[in-house]
Amino acid sequence: MDEILRHIFSAGTFNQMLRSATPVALAAMGGLLTEHAGIMNIGMDGMILMGAFIGVLGSYLCASAAMGVASAVLLGVAVGLFFALFVVKFKSDEFIIGCALNTFAAGLTAYLSRSIFGLSGTSGHDIAHLPTVHLDFLDAIPFFGEILNDNSFFIYLTWGLVALMWVFVYKTPCGFWIRAAGEKPETLRTAGISPERMKWIASILCGICCGLAGAHLSLGYLNGSFVEGMSNSRGYIAFACVIFGAANPAKAYIAALMFGFFDALGYRLQSYISSDLTSIIPYLITVVMMVYVVVRGQRKKTTLRTNTTAQKE
Amino acid sequence: MKKLLAMLLALVMTLALAACGGTTGTDTQGETPSGTNDAAQTEDKLAVALVVAGTFGDRSFYDSSKAGVDRLAADFEKIDVKTIECNNENHDQQLRNAADSAKIVVAVGWEFYNIETIAPEYPDVDFIWIDNATSAPVSNVLNITYAQNEGSFLVGYVAAKMSESGVVGAVGGEDSATINDFIVGFTQGAKHANADIKVETIYSNTYDDPAIGKECAITLNDKGADVIFQIASKCGDGVFEAGAERGFYAIGVDSDQKYIADDVIICSMMKEVGTSIYDAVKAYVGGDKSLWGTTWVADMSNGYVGVGYGDEGATQQVSDEIKAEVESLKASIVDGSIVVETTR
Repeated sequence: MDEILRHIFSAGTFNQMLRSATPVALAAMGGLLTEHAGIMNIGMDGMILMGAFIGVLGSYLCASAAMGVASAVLLGVAVGLFFALFVVKFKSDEFIIGCALNTFAAGLTAYLSRSIFGLSGTSGHDIAHLPTVHLDFLDAIPFFGEILNDNSFFIYLTWGLVALMWVFVYKTPCGFWIRAAGEKPETLRTAGISPERMKWIASILCGICCGLAGAHLSLGYLNGSFVEGMSNSRGYIAFACVIFGAANPAKAYIAALMFGFFDALGYRLQSYISSDLTSIIPYLITVVMMVYVVVRGQRKKTTLRTNTTAQKE
Repeated sequence: MKKLLAMLLALVMTLALAACGGTTGTDTQGETPSGTNDAAQTEDKLAVALVVAGTFGDRSFYDSSKAGVDRLAADFEKIDVKTIECNNENHDQQLRNAADSAKIVVAVGWEFYNIETIAPEYPDVDFIWIDNATSAPVSNVLNITYAQNEGSFLVGYVAAKMSESGVVGAVGGEDSATINDFIVGFTQGAKHANADIKVETIYSNTYDDPAIGKECAITLNDKGADVIFQIASKCGDGVFEAGAERGFYAIGVDSDQKYIADDVIICSMMKEVGTSIYDAVKAYVGGDKSLWGTTWVADMSNGYVGVGYGDEGATQQVSDEIKAEVESLKASIVDGSIVVETTR
């Protein structure tokens, strides 16, 4: 038993947690903005997939991973604009547009990767990838140093982004307006600020974050390779993290870490229980999370109602 | 008005998508996704449709089948080849689409199990089903299964001989009979080389996510495995990457994958899918249809399963001594003195 626990809760588990949480967390940072702005964005999976492809393509064409990331960011802007065009300007159903975006991304990346890289995809081409970061001082710390050191550059970037996003959402006027655009658009309009404009901004920033998530997946997590359908539902998991974290950057990041942890745990538990059961774990967690969110929402409503009745009396 | 415009744009988007995915015509054959096809009707042309359950680009199983039909198209002027990728969905419909427009349909992947009921609906079409067999013989279906357990036995032997830690690993795509057939063979081969060896296995539960393949390999490496066999299609790319980063050896699957990462992949378990398709269709063209209605086991004795060490000039990690031992094991498997376990 002791050995099993040592195996399950090794530094490797937590290291993997960080690695698999990062692409999800990056996308979730964008997803929470659209969520605040009142757009249900389920198109993140497609955005990640396109980001992953364009990242590889940019890196391949310019022979530089930084250019790959830059092109993924540019693509993010374009996809964000595209998404907002339909959802904000044409007021189409965001669910349908999100679904369309996902299928569109799958088809487009498959088509482009075949026409540009040939039948065998990008593997086989030497593509510049992002460096891993080694911090000497972390070597001195036993367990945690092992977890935190020698990771892809993006893992550290994500921490910065989470903090930045928190400041942006809760401490800047723009963040405040984005939240108002989702919660009370009429009030925002009365204040002379267009809620539509805020939604555009949220969509574009979401596109950028998802583009970064994709670039990390193909250039940071992997050493520069793209495979059709490689986003593998990470966009949906990011969406679940947003909902679970009530669109709070810190909470959404924790939710992503939790997914990463259960993912890592699943692979280690395979030695003891069937892999069919372990593969359920992340989805089981999603369901548990959703139940929690609903219950929490109900409770809030009840408290609110009791408070208003109390005030009336 | 705006709604209408939005709908129109969405429609355009969907159509663009439809144009992107779906059927990819190869060679001279035009792109006719379904319906009747002129090629099937003209007497002198033989339309061959290759339907794969996943997508090409795995540099392994599916690409090997593609190489086989490409060779057919190059060697026989009268053969027209068309390929369909199912992308893991609509297997039955794609099989019908292929049967509507071809004389020979090659279905690659265990997922086409409804071939049993579909094939009798197309009495004029001859089917080849790769990697699985119908429960009862169907007169116009040729099943080709592979003795992957025998090939895996050999690479398991190599893995155990190359391992310094005394632990070897295997990353499987899913917990299914076909994948486990590799694993039991691998395990038995490893134990044959070294009775004390530990074999660790893990399932990625996906075939298209190299990031997960990488994590699986790292997990196995954390458990001490220093030679890892990948049996997970495109997830394998992640296994090779992890090997390069962490300094362990990997073993390729289905095709000779050595060229992907010369210094990581020590050998590959070869399953000559392409060659077997080529030979079956060649027999058909020569008028020999006796194979249809039977299950053909492509195994070590007829040379369709084996070990590949890469092309000439590739870096060799496996010593000539071990290679010679592998050859003698091969002979023992063929003459039956070693019986490799199977899950089938």
